[in-house]
Amino acid sequence: MNLLPFLIIVPLFGAFSMPLISFLGKRVRDMWAVVISAVTLGIAINVFYTIWKTNQIIVYTLGDTTPLGKGVSFPIRIVWEVDLLGALIAVTIAFVSLLAIIYSLEYMKHDTGLDKYYTLILILELGMLGIVITGDMFNFYVFLEIMSIASYALVAFRNDTWEGIEAGIKYMFVGSLASSFILLGVALLYGQYGTLTMAYLSQYITREPTFVSKVALAFILCGLLFKSGAVPVHMWLADAHPAAPSSISAMLSGLVIKAGGVYAIARILFSVYSISLNIRTLGWIIIFFACLTLIVGNAMAVVQTDMKRLFAFSSVGQIGYILLGIGIGLAAYGTDVGHVALAGAIYHTVNHAIMKALLFLVAGAVLHEVGTKNLNELSGLARRMPLTSFAFLVGAAAIVGMPPLNGFASKWLIYESSALYNPFLAAIAILGTAFCTAAYIRVLFTFFGKESEKVKVAKDPGKVMIVPMVLLIIAIIIMGLLPWQINDSIMLPTARMLEESGEYVLAVLGG
Amino acid sequence: MIPLQFVTAFLLIFMGIYAFLHKRNLIKLILALNIINAGIHLLLISLGYRLENGVLPTAPIYTGYETLKGTPMVGPIPQALVLTSIVIGVCVLALAMALTINAYKHYGSLDINKLRRLRG
Repeated sequence: MNLLPFLIIVPLFGAFSMPLISFLGKRVRDMWAVVISAVTLGIAINVFYTIWKTNQIIVYTLGDTTPLGKGVSFPIRIVWEVDLLGALIAVTIAFVSLLAIIYSLEYMKHDTGLDKYYTLILILELGMLGIVITGDMFNFYVFLEIMSIASYALVAFRNDTWEGIEAGIKYMFVGSLASSFILLGVALLYGQYGTLTMAYLSQYITREPTFVSKVALAFILCGLLFKSGAVPVHMWLADAHPAAPSSISAMLSGLVIKAGGVYAIARILFSVYSISLNIRTLGWIIIFFACLTLIVGNAMAVVQTDMKRLFAFSSVGQIGYILLGIGIGLAAYGTDVGHVALAGAIYHTVNHAIMKALLFLVAGAVLHEVGTKNLNELSGLARRMPLTSFAFLVGAAAIVGMPPLNGFASKWLIYESSALYNPFLAAIAILGTAFCTAAYIRVLFTFFGKESEKVKVAKDPGKVMIVPMVLLIIAIIIMGLLPWQINDSIMLPTARMLEESGEYVLAVLGG
Repeated sequence: MIPLQFVTAFLLIFMGIYAFLHKRNLIKLILALNIINAGIHLLLISLGYRLENGVLPTAPIYTGYETLKGTPMVGPIPQALVLTSIVIGVCVLALAMALTINAYKHYGSLDINKLRRLRG
């Protein structure tokens, strides 16, 4: 049986039954949230395993057994189409969301309106899952908006503080403008080609890439770069991610900017526009933004005094690496260099989701126990909160790219391919890492420095908050111990599947 | 020749973007977002409304009578898309208004330039 539709049905049912379930008591409500997200993770793993085993794209048509209309040879229905990339990101999304929900059982205990909180967090998860499994442009827009609206609301969840409200308003206005651009792009594509199915659209665009399709691509890319926090338009990210509750920051930084930004860029460029445009120019445009993002994001992280803001700027920098991988993958399309760069980008997407989730959970634990996230007041935390400090150490080492941890492998792939493609890009990438290292060393010194007044009474948080961190540490270490096996068995096939847009088209339209 | 609706749609979109960049009142920013969306909706609707052989298309209600008479129908998909998009727009509008009310409570002002406490 095809489990794919349940990837949406289960969280949707869980989200909207939450207000009713919460009448049964707090404990039942908490368990319900955990169970729903755990079941979603199980389904995501099942879908991923099926695709990985058979090496075939799963296509699901809403309301019918075949995507093609009766008696015609073109798709007329909404199609869901999952390849390895989509399934891999879906597993990451389900995994990090489950941990964020477990974490918030204790972290959010003192807040009110928690039934709405869990409803929103499940809607956020479902929106992201929808983005990665859809094969229809307008359906993509709808899921993008479901995700965005849930995340605006979650950033402003603590509406009794000015911080959340201000960040929420900034995030909302920028995000809505970006969504409008994407909708405009989708409308132009529909006007030009008269279809919304990505695979069918791809066939048309390859046949006749018109001027309108390029304008549409410009609008869509512009909107998606907004959403992924690339540099000229990254300011909302640095405000919104620190202001949200920490469990939400982990999801925003780890997942939302990837599913709604980087993943969507890769999907639109490779699967919809495939190789019909001038891919070299397009690749260099992405590389340009990537280099800018890489330098500015990491450099801005060095000068922050707020821990969560530092992590948020570091997210901007890491998005730069992922975009660099995608850009090289596009500019060097069809060569081994491009292939490795794309595999590195995909690998880094997954790794960064895990690492940044861990770091934000650590920041949340510190905020929860000490009550401040200002680095100047936090020195000497390591003696009072040993487990949390160890988690931070692992996360920071992984994000800098120390060899036994998972960040090393993905960054190595990106350095290697950029050095082979153009040594100048590799120099920029390494410069970015230098800034990144400086930023994290600074936090490290704060943690292990002389004990300050504020941290005298601090202690490690309770078990419920420790468990997700430990699970993330285990994931980082396991992925760090088997980097090349994971690369060969998962990342390279994923990159190959993304590159071969012909198969993506054939899966819907048939032989 | 470019149909007049398309020109109007893009005028609306650029009017909205202009207002979005130059206005400072939060309510006016929300209105600007809605004007942009209205422009896109007009574009989508007019994509489905095309003259065929000089005949005005009818509403997309399929009864079987249309094929007998030979009058074309407007494209039903853009209308479905716009309907969905309007619903999304209402959600964004409601959330934006709620946040604006909260911002007024905290800052005592609707000026976007006063919302400048977050920095670093």
